[in-house]
Amino acid sequence: MNYTALQVTRKNFFTRLNLYLIFSIFSINVIGLLNLYSATTNIASHLQNVFNTQIMWLGIGWVFFMIISLIDYRIFVRLAPVLYILNIIALIAVMFIGKTSYGAQRWIDLGFFRYQPSETMKLAIILMLSRVLVRYNTERGLGFKDLIIPAIVLLIPFALTVKQPDLGTALLIVMIGGAMILAMKVKRRVIIAGVLMAVIAGPLAWQFGLKPYQKNRVLTFLYPNKDPRGTGYNSIQARIAVGSGQLLGKGFQKGTQSQLEFLPEKHTDFIFCVLSEEHGFLGGMATLGLFAILLIAALQCSFLAKDMTGALLGVGVFAMVLFHVFVNIGMVIGLLPIVGVPLPLISYGGSSNLSMMIALGWASSVYYHKDMF
Amino acid sequence: MRLHIDYHDQPSLRGFQKRIKLFYFLLIFLFAGLTFRLIYLQIIQGNELYAFSEKNLLKEIRVQAPRGIIYDRDQNPLVENLPNFALTLSPQFVQDLDALTKELEKIIGMSQKEIKQHIKKRMILNGPYRPVIVKNFLSRGEIIQIELLKIEYQGINIEELIFRHYIQDALLAHVLGYTGEVSARELPRLQEKKGLDIQQGDIIGKRGLEEKFNIYLQGDNGTSFVKVDAKGQQKLSDSISFLGHIEDINAVPGLNVDTTLDLDLQKAGYEAFVKHERQGTLVAINKQGEILALVNYPSFDPNLFSKGITVKEWSALINNPSKPLRNRAIQDHHPPGSTFKPIVALASLQEEKLRENTLVYAPSTFRFGRRTYHDHTRTGQGYITVAQAIEMSSNVFFYKQGLELGVDTIAKYAKALGIGKRTGIDLLGEVPGLMPTTEWKKERIGEPWQAGENLSTAIGQGFVLTTPIQLASAYMAIGNGGKVYRPHIVKRVYDNNNNTVLSVSPELVKDLSDKTKPYYISEETLKVVRKGLYRVANGERGTARWAKIPNFEIAGKTGTAQVRGFSASEIYQSCPKRPFAQRHHGWYVAFGPYEEPEMTVLVLTEHSCSSSKSVPIVKDFFQEYVKKYHPQLVTQKEESKK
Repeated sequence: MNYTALQVTRKNFFTRLNLYLIFSIFSINVIGLLNLYSATTNIASHLQNVFNTQIMWLGIGWVFFMIISLIDYRIFVRLAPVLYILNIIALIAVMFIGKTSYGAQRWIDLGFFRYQPSETMKLAIILMLSRVLVRYNTERGLGFKDLIIPAIVLLIPFALTVKQPDLGTALLIVMIGGAMILAMKVKRRVIIAGVLMAVIAGPLAWQFGLKPYQKNRVLTFLYPNKDPRGTGYNSIQARIAVGSGQLLGKGFQKGTQSQLEFLPEKHTDFIFCVLSEEHGFLGGMATLGLFAILLIAALQCSFLAKDMTGALLGVGVFAMVLFHVFVNIGMVIGLLPIVGVPLPLISYGGSSNLSMMIALGWASSVYYHKDMF
Repeated sequence: MRLHIDYHDQPSLRGFQKRIKLFYFLLIFLFAGLTFRLIYLQIIQGNELYAFSEKNLLKEIRVQAPRGIIYDRDQNPLVENLPNFALTLSPQFVQDLDALTKELEKIIGMSQKEIKQHIKKRMILNGPYRPVIVKNFLSRGEIIQIELLKIEYQGINIEELIFRHYIQDALLAHVLGYTGEVSARELPRLQEKKGLDIQQGDIIGKRGLEEKFNIYLQGDNGTSFVKVDAKGQQKLSDSISFLGHIEDINAVPGLNVDTTLDLDLQKAGYEAFVKHERQGTLVAINKQGEILALVNYPSFDPNLFSKGITVKEWSALINNPSKPLRNRAIQDHHPPGSTFKPIVALASLQEEKLRENTLVYAPSTFRFGRRTYHDHTRTGQGYITVAQAIEMSSNVFFYKQGLELGVDTIAKYAKALGIGKRTGIDLLGEVPGLMPTTEWKKERIGEPWQAGENLSTAIGQGFVLTTPIQLASAYMAIGNGGKVYRPHIVKRVYDNNNNTVLSVSPELVKDLSDKTKPYYISEETLKVVRKGLYRVANGERGTARWAKIPNFEIAGKTGTAQVRGFSASEIYQSCPKRPFAQRHHGWYVAFGPYEEPEMTVLVLTEHSCSSSKSVPIVKDFFQEYVKKYHPQLVTQKEESKK
């Protein structure tokens, strides 16, 4: 019997919570709200209600987060197949009764809010993979056969979101799933095959899978001055906004690009423009730093998990936040083509913020229950 | 108090904890990428981009394409595009609205309060970023004063817009329609369902040909990229060109449209309504379905909409009890009344219930079942042939035909002539009318057809409803040997280099002279009915005999559309004494010349009590037609006078 096994620690509610996680989420919320206030409440704005609505959604998100933290995450994992199937049904339903925005069918009007099944789909996939992958948890590593079921779990929602078409979410689904699979021990030849497939699938998707407007987005990303009228215009304006913030930024509500009509979707997908223009490189780095703390805390939850299920769940949440942050900011600052992915906890949006808080609640739950059986 | 035990010694978890390093590396790698990019944009390029954002912002300005021109059949333009210098105000750039509006008050002759209210209303309607048009058609003096004002105040501008001017004002309002700014409600429908390149603030066609042919008339709006400073003021300097040179996208003018309309005839028809002080509609079509005139009276001025209609003007239009916005020729349907009788006569003759010379006894009343059915005269007509029955519009004669034929046989021919069906005219909003059948009644009302209803149907009352355009088209078919053409207004769509994009030729919908069809009507049958119609306009007892046109014989049929049912005594007496809205409508539909009909004219005078109020309008119209298309007949008249 070694020393640690004998150590006796007093544990209560607060010490069981991952306070790094909570601190970083809360700080990002504050930054997000300040920023949203700046973006939406100037005199001429037609977005007057956005700020209050966002506060409401974040409040609801925190309630979910705290409750979920206290519930054993294994209950959610056990429910995974049901949630997964219900979500698939919702995704199919959205094709028929869904409302369109920007040419894609994405949400169902529930009266009090617009439900986007593709947002909750990411959650269902994290739960489902946590459940499915654990079964193949062997020392020899995952082979091709073992990946058949996880691949099906990923492919159905992937196909449905591509069909919407919501390319951003579809890619996120694949990236989150990929990260969770790589968290398992995988045979080397499987990894090589995966990389090869991605290399081959890319050009094929370009040729047969992408709609003209999606191709356009990629092309304007590569050659922004070719189509200054369409998406090229947005990405140029976004880059001007970010760059003009320089080191310290122009100051709260002083961003000329953000306050005028030059930025499209400035309260949702392009919110990082406002932040960068008004608070500069330092503001942007502070935000990235907080996200880094949050992501490390999520990995910590995963690392300390008492079982493989919790570990996988933690990785899933980590991957979900990381890829959202990277794809969103990368798109805004011209590293990636424009796809509709929100910036977690900062962009305006009910579905996306709530599902983010639920996911973080699971990571928190993994940590909270790490010593309980 | 619990024991804290390290459970991470499970083999699989230990392996996992090693692999988790991978994710730390991924995090560092991705965030480093973002950081380097931010350094590049904000620190290295920061100065340049900052200058750009301050001094030279690129603003996309929509350039309105001139809409196509619509011509009549003689190449007279019916609309034109006039230059319009308008004062616009961009709310987000205005710093002191009170001071600015006070200055504007002095220049443009609107009160400060009015200007502010107007701006507020437009902002609610279009959102805060659309420039608001404060005043159209600035005079030269106003332009100079506003240009001076621009030095001191930000957010105002003079824009050169296009004003869609309807040259004939109210004359063709229902045919041409009007144009206006696309509304927030219409926008998603047009963009997503129809896939049109339409943005907020664009002008689109609403109603009439402007709406129906909008995709041709509209043209492609262009985009001009203007460099503006952070306050939205236009800058001329080209010093910093981060964006490189961006070519403007030129607006492509809309396509032109040639119509079948005849401006002179249209005017004649409209003026006839004014002269005779009637409200209603006139439709004139030629033998191949081309619409020569389509008059609605009262009408409205479509230029009001081009200017941007005010709430007051709009509510005056929609609250007007005589409904000036309605296109009565296609949007209203009424019982055809006696104008339906010739169609019943066609059926009787073709089904051999009658011959040309068969005499039928037509007294003033007709008892059927427990009810007595009345003629519109107190004497009846005695023994008459079918042509005489049409001439005198005998009710009892046609009651008898209705009983013999039954509604379904009548419907077979009436439907073939287009009664109860949309004609497919190239305007939106046409209603179908109704031609009942026994099956229809069972399905829609749930009751079996009553034999007595054959009687009312035979004289065009009961369930039968026709639109004016339908009835005109049916009569043209009777006149031209049984050929039903789709009525149309647009002949050709072409670009400014005269390349034809769309060419519309006469479309034969039904040919009743086709022997293989169940609704076949022989030329002999048509001839007999045409003789009856001839007698209406020329016979001794014809109901329209008093409106002959010198040297030009026409044939037609009068009719009364009851607004609601009346008892027998009321039919004779009280129509003119009733409240206006309850009075009958008068029909007269005629074609001419009799021997070889070229044109059918239909007039419906609303609440005029009698078809005799429609007859003089038809006469005036034909006289104008003769004057224009057969001038030799007019000179003959003068010679004979000598």
